[in-house]
Amino acid sequence: MAKSNLFSKIKGFVRSDAFIFLLPAIILIIVFYLIPIAVSVYMSFTPLRNWNIQRYIHEFVGFENYWRFFYMVTHDPTVQPIFITTVVFIVVTLIVNVLGGLGLAIATFFMGEKEASGTQLLWLLPRMTPIAVYSMIWYYFFHGSAIGTLNSILMALGIIHHPIDWGQSIIPWGPWMIIIFVNGLVGVSYGMIVFTSAISNIPKELVIAARVDGASNWSITKNILIPLLKWHIVYVTTWQMLSLLTTYDHIFLLVEWGLVNRYWGTTWALYIYNMAFTAAEKDLGLAAAAGVILVIVGAVLGLLALKIMGFDKMVKEPRGDI
Amino acid sequence: MVVVRLVNVTKIFKTGVVGVKDINLTVNHKEFMALLGPSGSGKSTTLYLIAGIYKPSSGKIFFDDRDVTNLPPKDRNIGLVFQNWALYPHMRVYDNIAFPLRIKKLPENEIRKKVLETAKMLRIDKFLNRYPWQLSGGQQQRVAIARALVKEPDVLLLDEPLSNLDAQLRISVRAELKRLQKRLGITTIYVTHDQAEALAMADRIAVINNGRIIQIGTPEQVYSKPATIFVGGFLGNPPMNFVEAEITEEKQGLYMLLSGQKLTVPKHYEPLVRKAGLRKVVVGFRPEDTAVIPECRETGECIKGRVYAVEPMGREYIVVVDLGGDLVKAIVPRSLVLIEDQEVCVCPSLEKLVLFDPKTEKSLETLYAEKT
Amino acid sequence: MMSAGLRDIELRSRRTELLLVATVLIFSIPLILGYGLLILSSFSKEMVTNLNPHDFIPTLRNWILFFEGRTAVFGGIRVNIWHIVLNTLIVALGVSFLVTLVGSMTGYAVSRLKFSGRKRFMALLMLLHAFPGSVMVVGIYFLYLMFLPSYQLVRFYSFFFVIVARASLEIPMATWLMKGFFDMIPWEVEWAALVDGASRFKVWRKVILPMVKPGVAAVMLFGFLAGWMDIIYVRTFLVDQTLATWIESNINAEYSYLPLVAAAGTFYLLPTIIFFLLAQRLIFTISATGVKG
Repeated sequence: MAKSNLFSKIKGFVRSDAFIFLLPAIILIIVFYLIPIAVSVYMSFTPLRNWNIQRYIHEFVGFENYWRFFYMVTHDPTVQPIFITTVVFIVVTLIVNVLGGLGLAIATFFMGEKEASGTQLLWLLPRMTPIAVYSMIWYYFFHGSAIGTLNSILMALGIIHHPIDWGQSIIPWGPWMIIIFVNGLVGVSYGMIVFTSAISNIPKELVIAARVDGASNWSITKNILIPLLKWHIVYVTTWQMLSLLTTYDHIFLLVEWGLVNRYWGTTWALYIYNMAFTAAEKDLGLAAAAGVILVIVGAVLGLLALKIMGFDKMVKEPRGDI
Repeated sequence: MVVVRLVNVTKIFKTGVVGVKDINLTVNHKEFMALLGPSGSGKSTTLYLIAGIYKPSSGKIFFDDRDVTNLPPKDRNIGLVFQNWALYPHMRVYDNIAFPLRIKKLPENEIRKKVLETAKMLRIDKFLNRYPWQLSGGQQQRVAIARALVKEPDVLLLDEPLSNLDAQLRISVRAELKRLQKRLGITTIYVTHDQAEALAMADRIAVINNGRIIQIGTPEQVYSKPATIFVGGFLGNPPMNFVEAEITEEKQGLYMLLSGQKLTVPKHYEPLVRKAGLRKVVVGFRPEDTAVIPECRETGECIKGRVYAVEPMGREYIVVVDLGGDLVKAIVPRSLVLIEDQEVCVCPSLEKLVLFDPKTEKSLETLYAEKT
Repeated sequence: MMSAGLRDIELRSRRTELLLVATVLIFSIPLILGYGLLILSSFSKEMVTNLNPHDFIPTLRNWILFFEGRTAVFGGIRVNIWHIVLNTLIVALGVSFLVTLVGSMTGYAVSRLKFSGRKRFMALLMLLHAFPGSVMVVGIYFLYLMFLPSYQLVRFYSFFFVIVARASLEIPMATWLMKGFFDMIPWEVEWAALVDGASRFKVWRKVILPMVKPGVAAVMLFGFLAGWMDIIYVRTFLVDQTLATWIESNINAEYSYLPLVAAAGTFYLLPTIIFFLLAQRLIFTISATGVKG
């Protein structure tokens, strides 16, 4: 009975107007999200190496890749740092992102229009910059030799006397600082955009009424803006946390170019990519197993995020019955 | 004692839009002054200039003899109520009212005393623990007023505080607000686009249009002696009737020709018409000062017309009469039975009608007063 | 009635405002330095990232070389840089087109149509964001290898594949964005057209879509930038080089002449800057609609 019910539901959907509009998206989501994940799950049970599909794809090793992965996480000194780095990276960058975005949104609110739009432009730049150019900029900024901007500034100020190889010699703080800085700047703009538009939706009279009562910038921020942005802060925090868990493209080149340490500058997501594509010995079964666990973590956190944001209440039904 | 004085105040916005131009206005101590005008006329701009939210482009603003032109709002000791009341949605009623006092860093027990006092006065002391969205419109509006009054301001500024209420409530709050203002004796400036509100509450009304003050006077003055056609047409419901007429001279005196029929120029207007040397005037008369009679006599006091429509309004009827193309309205008792297309005679009260110059649209009195 | 621009009272102290601007500027120093030095280096004979004024020898040679299509001064792999730019452009335009088409269709359905599982579909769109890109790339590469065509078609196939795969990544963003725009169109407009007998598809195409032109423009721009800036998908799937992979391989290469790379990087940055000039207001107004509801 239940089956035929589902069948008729699907049949109804296919005949509805919505089907035509959703078809392209559904195809793309199935082909490029769901099937790849399913493939990854399949791969995680095979001993696939170096993309030699014909050779390995019909062999099954059960949960061996998973056991190997757990063993490496707990015992391998080259894999352990990746998980410590991932946790530190997510927590610190998240704080930088949310506070930075909030700070910028509030600061620009109290500025004149020209200054505000200038600031917004400047801080949006990292998100919109081609990743290769963006990585190149920070590659030179943090470069370990005397051509690095940071080194030359500190040397000119007399704080240090020899160039410091930030990403390779000060382990783990150097590479952490760099990847957090580089990703932090990209993430800040997301919070800034969301908070800025949320603030612009607050009735202007609230702020002006407080001004008439003599409120300062700080007390307007504390008593009016932040309480009214509560929902948005939760939203940005959870959304940004998911982004940070899965992001790897802004770190990729920094590791490849040797700016940061391969072990203490790599996050979980990047580890999977490198294991599958750039490692000398591409251990795909292992990469897939690590990936499947990451998918599970992401899905759990994502569902949690939707709960926290009150997603159910956000969705309005369309009007009318046509 | 606070007298609010605006001297030649002009506000031009960055966009180049002229907010107000050359405003001169004095609001006396304890006075209830209404700023009346259509939307976009500059009345709210005037209020925000007085509050210090806008900075005048030129001109000065005084509170008594103190020049406050460049003083930020917090140093002016004003209470301000917005059209949407601007209650803080995340604060309880108590905290909303206490907010201005907390900014002043008053001790908490003193805040408590003052908030309770004000809340009691406005009969919202039962709702202090609720959030604004849990209150009705009328209650929210009281909270907004309480928040403005709690800091004992020298001047109370109200920006259309009643326009978000439904019609029934608006009328009952009107009387209440007026009593409250008289009891507290605070100089009050009240912005509204509702002429009935201004007439009912204000001691004096300043009518604003296109960024300029057109007339200042008591409700009685503004209503019965409008300075311009705009004022006459803006106040009253239904508004004043306006009909263009030609001036002719005969042995007995001056007459006005309305669609070929004669109407005597009132005696007190004769010298003004002669002095101005006008060939044409606009005759303004209020519907309630206009009699409609079924039979006409040649007296120079009435004009023949045809009934265009009859609108029963309950207590009385409004008759729309077609005077050779001009539609005029008159209020008649219910006992008078009229039907459409019936010929009738319209007789405006000669003592109460107002004559305007068609070119400048100003009343002849104003025109004359300006000339001397 | 308040003038549209007013956010705060006009009579407030300039001093705190200047203090704010100064604080923000201090935090922005690395950003300004980073971008500034890159652009400056592209006009110099030596890289000036060390802030040494003696290294700044103004020249247009880098740009001249770049516009001549040279990728290196001596030796190295001689690829005409304009081929690389063209490759980048093909990917960007392809992604932009696909994202706009699919995003505006899906956004419309989600905003306006009732269908069973609507809520779940919207939740799925949000959840897709939590899908780790790197895991998906592994699976997608598997598919890529499975359907690899004959040798002659591989380049064409890789372009097609990279465009479709990269566009899919932007579908959730584009859908939410377009939904925000569709939500703002009064229902009555749509009802009027439906009552007149138009089909849903016609309503969408002829009535609603023209009303959300700013939204379409925004999605097109975002889609273009996504394709233009991408490195991971391009380096994984595309046989040909784009500006991203070219820079990737040139930073550490011995034959590369770095100021020329800086010029290429600056050129690569140009659409971003143009985008800014076009669409700054847009970003902030749309995100207001996209986030909630």
